[in-house]
Amino acid sequence: MSTLANDLRLAFLLTQGSDRREWWRVTLTALGAALATGLGLAAAVLASLQGRYQVPVADGLLNNPGQRSGVILTLLLLLVPVLGFLGQCARVGAVHRDRRLAGLRLAGASVGQVRRIAALETGIACLIGSLVVTVFFVLSLLREWRSPSALAWAGIALVSLGVPALGALVSVLALRRVVASPLGWVRRVGPRTGRGPQWVLLGAMALLVLVALVAVASTYMDMPDNTFKAAPLTLFAVLLVVGAGAVLLSGAVAKLTGKVLAGRAGNPAVLIAAERLRQDPWAAARTHAAVLMGTVVGSGFIGVRATLLADIAKYDYLTDRADFYTAGLNLTATAIVVGFAITFAALAVGTAESLATRRRGLAAQVAAGVPYEVLGRALILETALPLVPSLLLAGAGGTGIAFAYAMAMAGTSVLPFGALLVPVVAFGACLLAAATSLPLLRRTVRPGELRYA
Amino acid sequence: MSTRHILLGLLARGPSHGYDLKRRHDERFPQARPLAYGQVYTTLQRLVRDGLAEVDATEADSGPERTVYRSTDEGARELAEWAGGIAPPAPFVTNEIFAKLVVSILADGDPAAYLRAQRAAHMERMRELTAVKTAPGADLSTVLSADYALNHLDADLRWMNTTAARLTNLTAEVDPA
Amino acid sequence: MSENHPGPVPLLAARGLVKAHGRTRALRGASLELREGEILAVTGASGSGKSTLLHCLAGIARPDEGSVTYAGERLDQLPEKRLSALRRTDFGVVFQFGQLIPELTAVDNVALPLLLAGTGRGEARARAGEWLERFGVRGQEEQRPGELSGGQAQRVSLARALVTGPRVVFADEPTGALDSLASEQVMAALVHTARESGTSVLLITHDAQTAAYADREVTLEDGVVVSEAEAPLGVSR
Repeated sequence: MSTLANDLRLAFLLTQGSDRREWWRVTLTALGAALATGLGLAAAVLASLQGRYQVPVADGLLNNPGQRSGVILTLLLLLVPVLGFLGQCARVGAVHRDRRLAGLRLAGASVGQVRRIAALETGIACLIGSLVVTVFFVLSLLREWRSPSALAWAGIALVSLGVPALGALVSVLALRRVVASPLGWVRRVGPRTGRGPQWVLLGAMALLVLVALVAVASTYMDMPDNTFKAAPLTLFAVLLVVGAGAVLLSGAVAKLTGKVLAGRAGNPAVLIAAERLRQDPWAAARTHAAVLMGTVVGSGFIGVRATLLADIAKYDYLTDRADFYTAGLNLTATAIVVGFAITFAALAVGTAESLATRRRGLAAQVAAGVPYEVLGRALILETALPLVPSLLLAGAGGTGIAFAYAMAMAGTSVLPFGALLVPVVAFGACLLAAATSLPLLRRTVRPGELRYA
Repeated sequence: MSTRHILLGLLARGPSHGYDLKRRHDERFPQARPLAYGQVYTTLQRLVRDGLAEVDATEADSGPERTVYRSTDEGARELAEWAGGIAPPAPFVTNEIFAKLVVSILADGDPAAYLRAQRAAHMERMRELTAVKTAPGADLSTVLSADYALNHLDADLRWMNTTAARLTNLTAEVDPA
Repeated sequence: MSENHPGPVPLLAARGLVKAHGRTRALRGASLELREGEILAVTGASGSGKSTLLHCLAGIARPDEGSVTYAGERLDQLPEKRLSALRRTDFGVVFQFGQLIPELTAVDNVALPLLLAGTGRGEARARAGEWLERFGVRGQEEQRPGELSGGQAQRVSLARALVTGPRVVFADEPTGALDSLASEQVMAALVHTARESGTSVLLITHDAQTAAYADREVTLEDGVVVSEAEAPLGVSR
């Protein structure tokens, strides 16, 4: 226990004396953990219910196990953009942290000790975020539900402690290469490929999908109708496949775009953006994964929504309960919008971080007379270039799902052309998110940055 | 610097007369102090006396008489021993600048002003040597000997910089009154 | 000041520059003249304000007080856009490191200023290649800065600074991170090119051997330029 206290003190001392950007990382990590905990708690409590219940929120949407499982699925799916956000946050000030940990190794700290310190740094940030949300969640839960079941309490405890534990685990995994060598990444030859965090993210997503399937399956246990049970699962699988395809395509296309453009670009901004893509094509794919998934889900949903609304209007027995159905649709729409919002926040954080990391080099470019406008355009192009083809695929996939659903359910009476708008809007929003860091370009890229060797 | 060993070294490539030796010395060691003609002859005579060199022939085709010298086996042995032996690293510290500073303090002079002037002179010489070594067509011997001098002047300069910063302490030590 | 002007009006002149970074005053009334075709070394202890002086002279930073005149124009009063354009066309900069874009190949890094000026890609790369060849960076045109040695990277930086044919090159500790042989190659490349094309060079260094490449040397002391003969060498007064 005394070693733990010692490590804790070291971790605290190191964080205290660290760069302002590291505080940004801690704050954003806590925020991400809070979001993840909130979603997880809601999902856990809902999953603890079995059969019919009178749940006094959301227009009776949570009363039936069938709809409840849909909501749980949505909540868990929302964890995907949150994970992406956390992944971006982990990169804020990462170079500094890596140096510091490598310095600790040089100063004689053991591998285990450095791992514990890194885990404590992230774990404590996550714990703070998770505890704050848990307290508020439990307080508001007790107002609606006087005595939650033991299962609900277990779920709450599991989520509120599991999130920080997972955060710590992920930080240890992400740092395994720094920790291995005392010299760490003090000297970096060429940009790294960043394969580590990618696997961590993929692993986390796979785990999430598994949890979602189990949760959905458990709430369906009382449902006799098997075909109904399979529908959301199939939809989910198709969405995943299209999304993963878009992400893979994004990386491949980034690589190809970079190669083709770097060879002929006469425009300096295009040249810089293309070479950055060629050097690290998966960085773009990683960042855009959640956007692409969101686009597939979003355009697919528009199709489902249009069809359902048409059905509600058509059949009397549905029109009677129109409130119930529209509430469900609106809730899903809200979830998708929230997911997009988190994703764009992650994108903005990622762009800002990439700027902050490169600020000395960029300051040198400005000093050499490269106009801010060229650097700004390169920054935007880095986001835009790989996004166009993969968003096209994601949009096409999503729209395909929407049309397929509409035709299967309602014949040709309703065609969800609104689905086509989703990729366009997503593209615009991505550019806007990247553009939020343009003011930062002027603010951080100052000659003062040139003064430190 | 041992002139006798350098002359022995120049003789190692074959017999040669005094004037030729001086010319080859000045060519081979650019930026070094040029050998005086008289010094070449006295050194050669001492080498003959010690059995390290001997008279090869005396030429007198036109103009003055020229004595051609060559190295003996004993001379070759002596040369090999000298060339392989290490040069004693700074056995006595001879530092004229330091001596001038101390004297200047003792005689109530202005050691700081002296250091400034000395530094300026050093820099001027370093610029000269750099110009010599960067001149188009400078051969490697010129570059290397200029580099040698530049490094020594640079060391002097650095010593002067640290000394200038500690001049007050030095004054107190040398002149406690 | 002890300047005696053998030539006509100086190409670049600073008068009474004052510049503060937060509470520390890096420059406290520094004045300096750089003549056409002259290589001028600025030396001084670390923290004496050398880099800040260079930033003010090159139009990278604006002085709080004082004036910077380049070819009859007041740099300290020009808008940022004009300054940026001037830095592209008339000035070249070489820093200790960091001025190469890590993602671009050596030849593209050198070609970048030409591309910014609107030269076509093919021609820009061809001209960049000539400069690299001239500075002895052959066969490494397609390598990225991370794959080059320090000396090679610095010669690529030099090529990038010189490719547009600038009138003034600003070099801030160009050999600061190099061993003596690499330093010598970089400085020889810089000095030869400058002499050949009549380019003025403002060379900032704390190293006497690097400063010795210059025609003239001034020393900066606590944010003020003291001419060489008066350099107080950090004597406590």
